[in-house]
Amino acid sequence: MTPEAVHEMLVEMLERLFEIKDPGLDEDLRDGYDFDSIDAIELLAEVEEQLERELTHEERKQAMEIRTLRDIENYILLMQKG
Amino acid sequence: MNRRVVITGASSITPIGRTEPQIMENLINGVSGVRPMKTDDLLTDRLNCDVFGTVEEDIEYDFPRRSRKTMGPVAFYAGQVATEAIAQSGLTEAQLGSGDIGVAFGSTHGSPTVQRDIYRVFFQGDASRLRRIGATDYLRSMVHTTAVNITRLFGITGRVISSGTACTTSAQSIGYGYESIRFGRQEAMICGGADEYDTTTVAVFDNLLACSTRFNDSPSKTPRPFDVDRDGLVVGEGAAALVLEELEHAKRRGATILAEVIGFGCSNNGGDLILPNADGVQRTLGLALKDAQLAPHEVDLISAHATATPIGDVVEARAIHAVYGSEVPVVALKGHTGHTMGACGAIETVFLLYMMRRGVVTRSLNLDEVDPRCAEINHVLQTTDRQVKTVSVQNFAFGGVNTCLMYRAFD
Repeated sequence: MTPEAVHEMLVEMLERLFEIKDPGLDEDLRDGYDFDSIDAIELLAEVEEQLERELTHEERKQAMEIRTLRDIENYILLMQKG
Repeated sequence: MNRRVVITGASSITPIGRTEPQIMENLINGVSGVRPMKTDDLLTDRLNCDVFGTVEEDIEYDFPRRSRKTMGPVAFYAGQVATEAIAQSGLTEAQLGSGDIGVAFGSTHGSPTVQRDIYRVFFQGDASRLRRIGATDYLRSMVHTTAVNITRLFGITGRVISSGTACTTSAQSIGYGYESIRFGRQEAMICGGADEYDTTTVAVFDNLLACSTRFNDSPSKTPRPFDVDRDGLVVGEGAAALVLEELEHAKRRGATILAEVIGFGCSNNGGDLILPNADGVQRTLGLALKDAQLAPHEVDLISAHATATPIGDVVEARAIHAVYGSEVPVVALKGHTGHTMGACGAIETVFLLYMMRRGVVTRSLNLDEVDPRCAEINHVLQTTDRQVKTVSVQNFAFGGVNTCLMYRAFD
């Protein structure tokens, strides 16, 4: 997936799953939208479907530090390579 | 320590409505909330029973996403009635978060709807779908989901009691909430129970031949508590919440007091887990009277559990007769709602509070001809204007659990 496609996918996902509409790239999702670690796990399940691969335990743990849309995008691009 | 406990908030979601005017109108006019069963594309075609005590109204919820994500349908019901009861009580955010207020709330088994989603992953036989068990699915489905979602909605930091004793769930919630305040452990408790629309519960009773099956074409004619033509219970859905509060605490706040909780009895039959047991019921009614320091003739109205099973109603009528004799009026409310399972004790309490306030006692719906084996007690066959001051709510559950709650109008 291109970075643009990842961005588009995430914007759609954040709205569908978490009612987060068009957040700024560097907006703190935790402070602004109550996006917590449970939401991150929910998001990972969806990401796995999109990437069509299962993330390892270690890879999943890395996602717990995610705070912003940019963090998520970078994470997915990294996982794509992995 | 032996403090007085009063009710300062009450709300319900029931098959015959949610608001006091709506519920009283339907009680007075003999309106039933039992309706044809909705298909679940799984069990319903195979069930012999085809009716359900259904909440038809669309409820507009106003819970934030951070709360909604851990709530299944049963917790939505619980959260809604708790919200309404707390609003009526006037308790503040600071009081709710003080640690002096707790929650006693339960359901039969959490959220069966969410549990079905979880088990779907298992039964699809595809381990790679494991991650599709959502991070919040346990929180939405677990047995104490109602209680802790209420704590989350209001930042409540006091004790949590989450009874899951089937049909005595909410009666125990009220009883143990009452004792928590009475014995000085909490200043107020949010108490009640809820159960969502669920056909697996119907399947359980249907397989035990305990469900009504002869009135599938005329749902409002069943269940028929104490009636000679009764043929079993009808499962229903709903929820009710009460705010219980220590009397002086309520007075200091200037809260409106709806009634006083004056006694609670609970016991187990100590044997069979299904069959109703006259000794167990009788003992429980005696415990509640003793706890309330009442003589039987001082009770003005009894709300019977009366699910309309052929044996259960006979056992209950005989136990009531043995304890109370033939004078005290007995009303059976499940003719209106069906058996709302974990919610029934709290819903029936709310109905009685409304009757006390209105000075009306409504008849047992569908009790057209009293079964001679249930005839020794004083059934309410006509709706009449009558002031009742002291009332009792009886409930009994699978597992041999019996409860009896006593309430008094507050002067």
